[in-house]
Amino acid sequence: MKLFTARACLILLLTSSSSYAEPLAINEVADGVYVHVGKHLSFDENYDADIANIGFIVGNDSVAIIDTGGSYQVGKSLREAVRSVTALPIRYVINTHIHPDHIFGNAAFEQDHPDFIGHANLPQTLSLNEDALLRNLQKELGANAGGSKVIIPSQIVKESLELDLGDRKLQLKAWPKAHTNTDLTVFDDKTKTLWTGDLLFITRTPSLDGDLKGWVSAIDELKTIQDKLTIPGHGNPSHSKNDMLDKEKNYLVLLLSETRAAIKNGMSLMAAINTIGKNENGDWQLFDVVNRRNVNFAYPQLEWE
Amino acid sequence: MNKHLIKLGLIASLCITSAQANAEAIDKYWQGMAKTYFPNAVIEESSLIKITAPIRAENGAQVPFTFSIDYPMNEGSYIKSVSVIADANPVPMVAAYNFNANSGKAEVTTRIRLETDSYVHVVAETSDGKFLMNKAPIRAAGGCGGTIGGDEQLARQAAGKMKLSVKSGEDASLQMAHLLIKHPMYTGLQRDLVSQGFRPAFFINKVIAKYNDQVVFNADTNIGVSEDPNIQFPFRAAQSGKLTVLITDNEGKQFSTSSDVQVN
Repeated sequence: MKLFTARACLILLLTSSSSYAEPLAINEVADGVYVHVGKHLSFDENYDADIANIGFIVGNDSVAIIDTGGSYQVGKSLREAVRSVTALPIRYVINTHIHPDHIFGNAAFEQDHPDFIGHANLPQTLSLNEDALLRNLQKELGANAGGSKVIIPSQIVKESLELDLGDRKLQLKAWPKAHTNTDLTVFDDKTKTLWTGDLLFITRTPSLDGDLKGWVSAIDELKTIQDKLTIPGHGNPSHSKNDMLDKEKNYLVLLLSETRAAIKNGMSLMAAINTIGKNENGDWQLFDVVNRRNVNFAYPQLEWE
Repeated sequence: MNKHLIKLGLIASLCITSAQANAEAIDKYWQGMAKTYFPNAVIEESSLIKITAPIRAENGAQVPFTFSIDYPMNEGSYIKSVSVIADANPVPMVAAYNFNANSGKAEVTTRIRLETDSYVHVVAETSDGKFLMNKAPIRAAGGCGGTIGGDEQLARQAAGKMKLSVKSGEDASLQMAHLLIKHPMYTGLQRDLVSQGFRPAFFINKVIAKYNDQVVFNADTNIGVSEDPNIQFPFRAAQSGKLTVLITDNEGKQFSTSSDVQVN
C-alpha cells in the first residue's frame, strides 16, 4: 500500500513537472532590475530548491539572468517571470558561484542559447563535483530534480568582464577564494545595483565553502564599492550594504578566532563543532545547522596555518 | 484548476517528507560485507568498542571519528587490528589499524569521508583470534566523489608534508601522538575536466609509527580517509626517546618525520 502511494506520487510529480510553470514572484527593485527573494530553508529539511536570491536585468537589447535557482523547475518559473516582463532575448546567464541553489535552474535557459558565464574556476570545479551535485540534488528533491543539469560555462571571468545589454553595462568581477572558489559579483552601472552572490548573506547564516580568511578580506574590499542598492545571495535587498557586511564580518571573525584558539588549545574537532559560535549574537536564521558546518570546514584548514 | 494544483502541491510535499524520512543509514550492506572482509570469522557485537562520531555529519568530506577499545594491551592479550568500514562508501574499507602491546591502547581519532548516510562498522581482532564489532549510523553527504577544486599541481607539491606532536596521555605511561599529513587523498572517483575522465587515485596507503625502533602503530589507509589525514593514536613510552613516523603513498613515495618525547 505504502509502495503504491509512493509510486502514485512519483507519477503525479513527473506529470506536474513536465509542462506547467507558474511565473516566479519577482520585484522590480531598481529600474529594470528584478529579484526573486528565496526562503531561508535548510538543505536538510523541506528543501524546495527556491532558497537563493535570483533574478535578471533588462537592457535595451537583451536580458541577463543572475543565478537561476536550485532546480530546472525554479529556472523555468524564473524564465516565465522574464517573459511576463519582456520579450527581449536572454543573452547571458551568469552564475555567481557553484552552489546548487544558484545553478540548477540553468537548464531552463538552454533553449535561449545564452552565454553561460562564471568565474574562471567554475568549469573545473563544476566538473570535479558534477556527480556529487547531481546525486545530492536527487536525494534532496526526488522527482522534483527532474530536468536539472550541470552546465559548464561557455565564457569565464578571470578578473573582470563587461557585458552590454544595450545602453546598459554590467561589470562582472571574479574574486579570490572566499565564500567558494568561484565567487563572482555583478554591478549594474545604470542603477548602481550590486549583486554580491553569496559573498553577502543577510539574515541567513553565512555558510563557508571556500576560505575563511579570504572571505574576510573580500568583505573589506566589497565595502569600498559605491552602490545604491545591494542584492545579497540570501536575504532582502538592502540600502545599507556596509552595515550588513560588518554584521557578516563580525561572525566570520568570531569563527576565525575561536577556531584558531580551539586548535591552539588542543580542543578536538568534534568538541570545537559543539562549542564554537555560542557567543555569536547576530540573530541569524539556521545558525545552529550552518555554524556547525562552518566549524567543521574551517578547523581542518586552519590547522595548517 | 487551483484546487487541483493545491492538491498536487500537498501530495508533492508529502512525498518529499517521506523521501527524507527514508534518507538515513540502513544496515543492509553489512551481512554481505562481513563475509567479504572477514570470511569464516564469528563476529560478536561488543560494547567494549566505543565509537564517538556525529549522528549527522556536518561535512561528508571531514567526519570526525574516534574508536576506543576497552581491552587489555599486554603481551599475552591485546587487540591486534581494527578495521573501520563505511558500509555505503564506494570503497567501504576506510582503514585498518594494527596494534600491539606497545600501543598501550587500541584507540584512534581521525576524520573519514562519507559519501551518503551510512553505518560505520568497527571490527577488532584480538590476539587470540576473536572478532569484536560495534557500529554507528551517521547521516552524511558527498564526501567521496566531490571536492571543491584546488590546484592539482600545488596539491602534489605539498603532498607528504607532516606535523607531528606528542603529549602525555591521561594514563601516565601512555603518550598521545597527533599526526597531520598534507595530502589531497584523491579518491579516483573525482571527475577531471582535462582528461574528460577521472582524476587518478592518489593517497597515503601506509602509516607506520615507531618508538625507539619498536613499531607502536601501523595503519593501512584508503581513500575513505579525509584529505589532509589527521590521526591521533596512543603509544607506550616507558622512557624518553624518539617517535618516528614513516608514510607511503600509492605511487610508492615515502616521507618521514619524528618527534622527541620526554618521559619523567
